[in-house]
Amino acid sequence: MNRKVLVAGLVVTLPLVGLMLMSLGRDSHKVESPLLGRQAPPFSLRPIGGGAPVTLESLRGKTVVVNFWATWCVPCVDEHPVLTAAPQRYGSDVVFLGVVYEDEEPNVQSFLREHGAAYPSLVDEGGKVSIAYGIYGVPETYFIAPDGTIVSKYVGPLRPDLLDGFVQEAQARAGTRRSDAR
Amino acid sequence: MKPTAVLLVLLLAPLAAAQTPPDHTPVDLAHVESIAGPPRAPRLTGAALEAEAKHIAAVLRCPVCQGLSVGDSPSAMATNMRQQIRELVAAGFDEDQILSYFEASYGEFVRLQPPLRGVNWLVWIAPGLGLLLGLGVVSWVLRGASTETPEAVAAAELPVEIVPDPLPDDPARAKAVLRVRELAYGWPGGLRPGKA
Amino acid sequence: MTASLGRALILLALLAASAGALVGFAAGVRRSAAGLAWAQRLAYVYAAAMVSANLLMVYALLARDFSVGYVAQVGSLEVPNWVAVTSLWSSLEGSILFWGLMLGLYVLGATWTNRHRHPESMPWAIGVWLACAAFFSFLIAGPAQPFHTIPIPPSDGPGPNPLLQNHVLMIIHPPFLYAGYVGMTIPFGMAAAALLSGRLGPDFMRSLRTWLMLPWVFLTCAIVLGGWWAYEVLGWGGYWSWDPVENASLLPWLTATAAVHSAILVERKGILKGWTVTLILASYLLTVLGTFMTRSGVFNSVHSFTQSAIGPTILVFLALATLFAVAILAMRIDRLSPEGHLEPGVSRDMAFLLNNLFFVLLTFTVLIGTVFPLVVEAVRGVQMSVGRPYFDRMVVPIGVALLFLLGVGPALPWGRASPEQARRALLPPLGGAVGLGALGLALGVRSPWTLVALLFGGYAAFVTFSELWLPVGQRIKVRGEGVLEAVAHVQSRGRRRVAAFIVHAGMVLVMIAIATSSTQGRTIEAQLVRGESVALGPYTLTFLGVDRVSEPHREALVANVEVKKGGRDLGVLTPRMNYYATQREPVGTPAVRSTYAHDLYLSVLNLDAQGQTLGLHAMINPMIVWIWIATGIMGLGGLFGLLPTRRVAVAPAPAMAVEGSLSPARSR
Repeated sequence: MNRKVLVAGLVVTLPLVGLMLMSLGRDSHKVESPLLGRQAPPFSLRPIGGGAPVTLESLRGKTVVVNFWATWCVPCVDEHPVLTAAPQRYGSDVVFLGVVYEDEEPNVQSFLREHGAAYPSLVDEGGKVSIAYGIYGVPETYFIAPDGTIVSKYVGPLRPDLLDGFVQEAQARAGTRRSDAR
Repeated sequence: MKPTAVLLVLLLAPLAAAQTPPDHTPVDLAHVESIAGPPRAPRLTGAALEAEAKHIAAVLRCPVCQGLSVGDSPSAMATNMRQQIRELVAAGFDEDQILSYFEASYGEFVRLQPPLRGVNWLVWIAPGLGLLLGLGVVSWVLRGASTETPEAVAAAELPVEIVPDPLPDDPARAKAVLRVRELAYGWPGGLRPGKA
Repeated sequence: MTASLGRALILLALLAASAGALVGFAAGVRRSAAGLAWAQRLAYVYAAAMVSANLLMVYALLARDFSVGYVAQVGSLEVPNWVAVTSLWSSLEGSILFWGLMLGLYVLGATWTNRHRHPESMPWAIGVWLACAAFFSFLIAGPAQPFHTIPIPPSDGPGPNPLLQNHVLMIIHPPFLYAGYVGMTIPFGMAAAALLSGRLGPDFMRSLRTWLMLPWVFLTCAIVLGGWWAYEVLGWGGYWSWDPVENASLLPWLTATAAVHSAILVERKGILKGWTVTLILASYLLTVLGTFMTRSGVFNSVHSFTQSAIGPTILVFLALATLFAVAILAMRIDRLSPEGHLEPGVSRDMAFLLNNLFFVLLTFTVLIGTVFPLVVEAVRGVQMSVGRPYFDRMVVPIGVALLFLLGVGPALPWGRASPEQARRALLPPLGGAVGLGALGLALGVRSPWTLVALLFGGYAAFVTFSELWLPVGQRIKVRGEGVLEAVAHVQSRGRRRVAAFIVHAGMVLVMIAIATSSTQGRTIEAQLVRGESVALGPYTLTFLGVDRVSEPHREALVANVEVKKGGRDLGVLTPRMNYYATQREPVGTPAVRSTYAHDLYLSVLNLDAQGQTLGLHAMINPMIVWIWIATGIMGLGGLFGLLPTRRVAVAPAPAMAVEGSLSPARSR
């Protein structure tokens, strides 16, 4: 038994195999958002179909749900009814906003005409806000507490129970600031 | 099915975006300053601006593509980011500040070159360490080799007089005996010097 | 019915492989000829079962038999037949089945050609091959079963991923890749057999070398074909992005190339046996690691299949195979005793050592960079990327060092060179270096690394061509033969050497082409309205308009861009956006006009349906076509070297057990 070869072989191979083992179950396509616990980036965007620009600052004191979506995105279409029904269930202290991601206005307008809209969807010129919020794809939804901090981010189509949980979490954080990002 | 659907969306997002021409609205400089501090570099224009913007775009990862840099990606998101980079370079932010700005939104994942923090330094020095280790191994092998040349082996052996059997007179047979010894013992002339 | 027949065939393959592995190992331990015969028969049964299962699946795909699980997954009534056939390897379950096909063919070939040879080593080899085969058959029979019966078959299926329907390279790249990847199993088994039987003689070494070169050729072509596919399909204008799956295909190639070179030292001098065996074992283990990386979902890649349950299974096999390799190395490496010695100092031996050093260093670097995000996540809990800028920076110097060795190594003589010999060998090729360097400077190359690559490349080209000419010139001078006659003799007497230098010539050309295309390209982006033009280098590009094209499985918007060069009309290039019925988002295809000097590369950034505005991305990429040509040269050179020649085997290196090699034999 050549001990040097044995030791060298194990030193090279065991960490590698061990690393692979530890990484099982890792979904390489889910990236943690660094914005959690930070102040939500400000924006002022005009709604689809016209009207005065909606500013995030003006909604301070309310819980804000910002949903990034597009008409060409299948899960966004799936979650649309959930989001459209939601504002009725909450009081006026929860505000829903949609931000259109890389889509064309005529498409969005006809989609909303057909499927209904319970809250304004905003036009993101130049993808500024999508970049500021670190969007990796759609649908992604941010839940912002009344003090302006981002409490949580959900990637994927929302269900009513998930939505309720996140909204409640954001409402509960009113006044407290989380300092750690995870 | 959900994760697969999201995966499909993430995979194909840049292609949908290819339907819309990119817009040009200026990035919020105050927001950038709140993240990265005031501009530290001189404001660039012209060819210097393009070169610096191209360089920065090459080290930023396109968030909606698989592994491509913002400079290489044809997606609308990447095009928008390239536009923002140009504006930030023109406004006098340096590479580190611009990378920090995008990192604040997307996380360290968006930098294609690992920044030097925590254990990241390991990946930068690993190839150099590997080279040193390899050169060490090669020189160790060579040192072993230089002690194993027939002359060196002979020199290291204790001087023992070995008298081989005399060769036959017939030159052809002598040659054959030498050849058989060479085949049998593996050394020119037949017998390894100093060994029985 | 088809599905149950398929499942039965897979089960047969699994049983034959498992039994064959056990019989092979037993025959190796007992040195039983009867056991060897049985192992061979079981190997043939395995191969037959795998080939049949694959043919059955191809039949089911062509017949659009949606009662078979895999066909329901990737089949479609709308796709053309060639897409139906290639969807055999387009999705996960089918690709593992295809892996089985390749392994079956290789096991068949390797067992049959060696059926009368190396009786003390072949049982072990067959045992190891069939053990690997058993694992993959288990995967196919279990977690990755493609032959599920769908009780109520759907009327149609979704078709394969549209990116995989875009280009004809889809037909060629995966089979080549699998031929290279899977083929590494054969030298793995033979190297293990060398350790387990405790002997690595010249005859076995020659077989081992043959069965290492064959997959090497396929893997070389496959890696470059993958780059070509990315270049033609993905639209960003590059051919290599250091994507984890790309790296997974490169890692075994690096160790296999190192092994090919150290094997020369084993054959010539009987040294570095244990090291060569280690490299060959590592090459196979890296293919298993690569399979894991591609199929586990752990790595973020454009190529990866979606996450599945087979990831953990492959990892278990990887762990077992690795432990097996380390164990037999530790236990038996000392039996592979050297017969010669390494010549230190300025010699070709030294060049071979450095060659191995740099290839292993490259392997280490690429591997570390690829898995590093996992390390960081485990340690710091943060997700980060190691991307192209890092890899380019680390790999380019090592590549340039290898290019240097490509020139200096073959120039050096075998023994220790005296200063006079060294000067005579190393100085003349400097003419080549200066020539190519000057040419580069004259053509406007200013990038330092590219200039260094041109210098080393010119040197290496000079050496390679003079080494190819040397024996021919000798025959002409000494024997008075004509050129053609001399060439014919040289290529049959010294075939492997000729082949090696042809491959080297290809490699030098590839490296020069890569060095040039990486730094000398130009690119512009422009928004054009119909009729508008933009200039790029010597070209004027005019957006003429848009055509709608209907094909059976997709609609496309084709942008017509007129290309003029110095007033001369060069025709119309048609980059397009393809819209697939089963996907909501379009997939772009670039248009490439290749000349020997450079490629004009156009891709669509955005295009409105009315055809009024076009976002165009245009590039000039120099010398791209030479990368493909040079790889073809390497592949053909490698295959040429594998062609058998009729010759009498010479007496083996001294102090070797004679293995029946003194009779005239066909050499491989």
